[in-house]
Amino acid sequence: MPTSFRTPLGRVRALGAARLGTEDFWRIRVTSLALIPLSIAFVIIVLTVVHKDYNGARAVMSEPLPAVLVLLFVLAGLYHTEIGMRSVIVDYVHGALREWALIANSCAAVALGLACAYAVLRIGFV
Amino acid sequence: MASSPSAPKTRPRPLSPHLEIYRPTLTMAMSIVHRITGVGLYIGVLLLAWFLIALSSDATTFATFSSFIRSFVGQLLLLGFTWSLFHHMLGGVRHALWDSGIGLDHPLRERLAQATLIGGIALTIITWIIGYTVR
Repeated sequence: MPTSFRTPLGRVRALGAARLGTEDFWRIRVTSLALIPLSIAFVIIVLTVVHKDYNGARAVMSEPLPAVLVLLFVLAGLYHTEIGMRSVIVDYVHGALREWALIANSCAAVALGLACAYAVLRIGFV
Repeated sequence: MASSPSAPKTRPRPLSPHLEIYRPTLTMAMSIVHRITGVGLYIGVLLLAWFLIALSSDATTFATFSSFIRSFVGQLLLLGFTWSLFHHMLGGVRHALWDSGIGLDHPLRERLAQATLIGGIALTIITWIIGYTVR
């Protein structure tokens, strides 16, 4: 028996078929807004290191500003990409493969984010 | 589903008109390109991760990455990464405008699609010119 006073309609109202409401919609838009300046900053950082050798590139990436901007770009980007890729998988991948694709997507996003964050911090601190 | 024992035999449920019904339009093509560039950016981040990990390791590891990115395949991937980033970014601006209720009507909708397409290519070319000339 239901243990809540909320009606079934009240429980699902404004949440849609996926029961999650507009959470992903909102998060992908917030991250996309953040990614406009971060992407421009990222391109500028890449342009400054593109002709440099190992030591030169390391010197640039050891600076706090490029390091933090690249970190923000990677983390906001992967958060955004995980949601985006998830909706692509849900649209085009069917059957049992879908679950594996969703798991792979989440794992890849976390692994890439952690790898990039570790690398940026190592460049700065080691 | 159709094999459910309790479900009576009925006509298939009506489907809404889908891709093959419509005449292809620019906005339709831009929609799928937005997705393709988004997926492409995943590969771009893979390149970025390789760059950062190589840079955080040692000069020998970095030289491996460096020679790859300077190779034909590496440059092609980097060009794709650049274009995907700019195209997807401008596409995102277009989506933000739509979310605000701007640019949904016919003439502006087409102009925005064209602007995204041309703008993405233009920004890519400008970035690569800077990349190859300014040191």
